[in-house]
Amino acid sequence: MTGNLSQVFRALGLFGLKKFGSASAAPVQHSYRSARKFTDKHEWISVENSIGTVGISNFAQEALGDVVYCSLPEIGTKLSKHDEFGALESVKAASELYSPLSGEVTEINDALADNPGLVNKSCYQDGWLIKMTVENPAELDELMNEDAYEKYIKSIED
Amino acid sequence: MVLQSSLKNCFQLSCILQVPKAGFRSTASGGLIIQSTSNDVYQNLAVEDWIHDHMNLEKRQVLFLWRNSPAVVIGRHQNPWQECNLRLLRQKNIKLARRRSGGGTVYHDLGNINLTFFTTRKKHERMENLKLVVKALKALRPQLDVHVTDRYDILLDRQYKISGTAAKLGRTAAYHHCTLLCSTDKFVLSSVLKSPYKGLKSNATPSVPASVKNLFEEDPSLTCEVLLDAIAEEYATQHQIDHHINLINPADETVLPGINNKAKELQTWEWVYGKTPKFNVSTHFNIAYKDSVLDVKVDMDVKHGRIEVCNIDLPQQWLPPALCSELVKSLTGNKFCPNETTVLVTTLLRTCPQDGDLQSRWNLLCENMKMLM
Repeated sequence: MTGNLSQVFRALGLFGLKKFGSASAAPVQHSYRSARKFTDKHEWISVENSIGTVGISNFAQEALGDVVYCSLPEIGTKLSKHDEFGALESVKAASELYSPLSGEVTEINDALADNPGLVNKSCYQDGWLIKMTVENPAELDELMNEDAYEKYIKSIED
Repeated sequence: MVLQSSLKNCFQLSCILQVPKAGFRSTASGGLIIQSTSNDVYQNLAVEDWIHDHMNLEKRQVLFLWRNSPAVVIGRHQNPWQECNLRLLRQKNIKLARRRSGGGTVYHDLGNINLTFFTTRKKHERMENLKLVVKALKALRPQLDVHVTDRYDILLDRQYKISGTAAKLGRTAAYHHCTLLCSTDKFVLSSVLKSPYKGLKSNATPSVPASVKNLFEEDPSLTCEVLLDAIAEEYATQHQIDHHINLINPADETVLPGINNKAKELQTWEWVYGKTPKFNVSTHFNIAYKDSVLDVKVDMDVKHGRIEVCNIDLPQQWLPPALCSELVKSLTGNKFCPNETTVLVTTLLRTCPQDGDLQSRWNLLCENMKMLM
């Protein structure tokens, strides 16, 4: 089979590279999807072709309860790391969303307008929130990988 | 990680300095009780924003007590056209505010008490707060049948809602606020919270209507003052602090630097109306003119409170087509607002021939269009 490594992975239905070594050890190829990284505020971001997809973690969606409304920014909005970019409403609580990185919003998940529950049902796939450019890739290194995030959740649950 | 830490460090509430050391104990049970001297809904909401953004709630939680002169307060993601009778509000000079927390629409007047419980995000506990309120009520009147539902409402006699709740969760801080009906004008409440709007389609969060009752109807000695005092007493007990209520003036920049800008922002059209989730109006109205009645169909998409798409379906030749298309073109991009529309239609009318009949028809159409806003 011709084509690069990531095409092979995708063809085999394998998402994410964590099972095959860390992203940083792999050769730099634009079509690699980076492993999901997490913030301490329970947002995740996964970068592919220099575009980051942002969502909230399973821990967060469980804590929130049923999401009834997603307030998301306009395409083109410029965000700095930690900027508030929107809110999720659930059980009468408006919970703010914070940008994991600096960049510009390129896409928002329109499916959430009519189906905000996707955030609960599929927080890592169909319930993604926004896509954004990655202005400063070094910021990605400041975020937690999945293992570190799991440890973090355990520590705050105690 | 901590936001605006420099501002947190220089937070001074001068009256706090007079609070005995008990208030400064570094236990998680530390607390502070603040009451607003203002009845302005925007100023009071601004105080909430200020405390949420600037106060360090790790060592000390805050209870904020406030009352407003007549106002309708909608939730963060709600649609005011859908939730209340805007024309009635404007007629009665009742303010309209959008809060930053979620939840549904409520009516405030001086017979309603608002309570805001500020904590760190971790210690945010709505049920506990409401149980505190119920405990305070029962300490006052043990026979009172009040309980908390799983929707975070407080019900009187198992059927009447006397309190509704909403919350906001920020980076490190969170707040839970709730209403408490003591002696609110229920007649005004039910008339302003009923929207006559037809043909509105929106994914904004809807309110859940409920039958309400005032505590004072149950027992006339339960005034706002008595209730505020009882709740403050219970909060003080639970947080092991003195039962001392610190008065705060929401207009005082020396105590709350930046507060007036926050209050201003809450009053902007962009916040109150512009933050409404995108919606569609698909309706029609009848115009009776001379001997006929015509049916006018209107279809509009409104985004950020502005008309994005506008279609007006009029019987042919009732008005000059060029004028109609000018109207549609002018409305597009404009605020979904009767005042803005008045300016727009007056300007357009000047471009018309001075024909009394034409002007009457034009006015009829435009008045009906404004009534939709």
